[in-house]
Amino acid sequence: MTFEILVQEGGLVKLSGRLDAAQADRAKAALDAVKGPATLDLTDLDYVSSAGLGVLVQTFKRLHDAGHGFKLTNLKPRIRLVFVYAGLDKVLQLD
Amino acid sequence: MVERRFPRNLGSLEPMAQFVADYLGSRGFDPEHSFTVDLLIEELFTNQLKYGKGGGPEVSLRLGGEREELMVTLRDFDVESFDPTFAPPERPAGTPGGLGLKLIRVMSDSIRYEYKERCAIITLTKRLPR
Repeated sequence: MTFEILVQEGGLVKLSGRLDAAQADRAKAALDAVKGPATLDLTDLDYVSSAGLGVLVQTFKRLHDAGHGFKLTNLKPRIRLVFVYAGLDKVLQLD
Repeated sequence: MVERRFPRNLGSLEPMAQFVADYLGSRGFDPEHSFTVDLLIEELFTNQLKYGKGGGPEVSLRLGGEREELMVTLRDFDVESFDPTFAPPERPAGTPGGLGLKLIRVMSDSIRYEYKERCAIITLTKRLPR
C-alpha cells in the first residue's frame, strides 16, 4: 500500500494510502510547502500511525500560529478513531 | 504461532503489515483487524528503534494467541533496556511526541515488558472479536 500526497492550489491536500513512520518525512516535506489555510482530504487514507499524526499536528501548529485555518475532512471511521484515541479530536478540526 | 525476523529499520513496516494480514487471514479473523494490529506493532517497533539504544540487525515478531485473543511479541536483540510501560506521563493533547505510547495503552488489552540477556521483549495482547 503506497502513500501519496498531493498539494493543490487553494490549500487542498489529498492524502492516500499508508501514512506510517517510513512515510512521515515525505509527508512533512510536502506539507511544509503549504503556507496558507489548508484542508486535508483523507478520503483515500487507509492507515495512519503516531508518526503521521505528529506531522499533521506540527503542520496544524505552524499554520495556526500564522493565523491560518487547518482542517481534516472525509476521515474513514477507523482513521477518525485513531485521532480520538490520541486525543487530537479536541485539538484538530475533523469534518 | 508464527514468528519471523525483520531488519531493524523502518523499511520493515510494510512487510510486517503483510505478515500480520497473512496470519489473521489464516486464522479466520476479520481483515479489518489488521489495521489495529498493524498500528500496535508499528508503535512498539518504532519506539524500540527510537529509544532502544543499540540493537542487532534484526528483530523478531511473533504472533499467536487463542480464540479471540491475539498475542504479539516483539524481541529486540543486543539492545539497551527501554521499558515502554514505565514511560513518562502523557503529554497534553496536541503536543508532539508520546502519541505512540498513548495509542498502545489505549488500543491494547495488556502490555508486558521483559529484559534479559540484553534482549528487550515486549508482549501485548489484543482481543479481536470474530
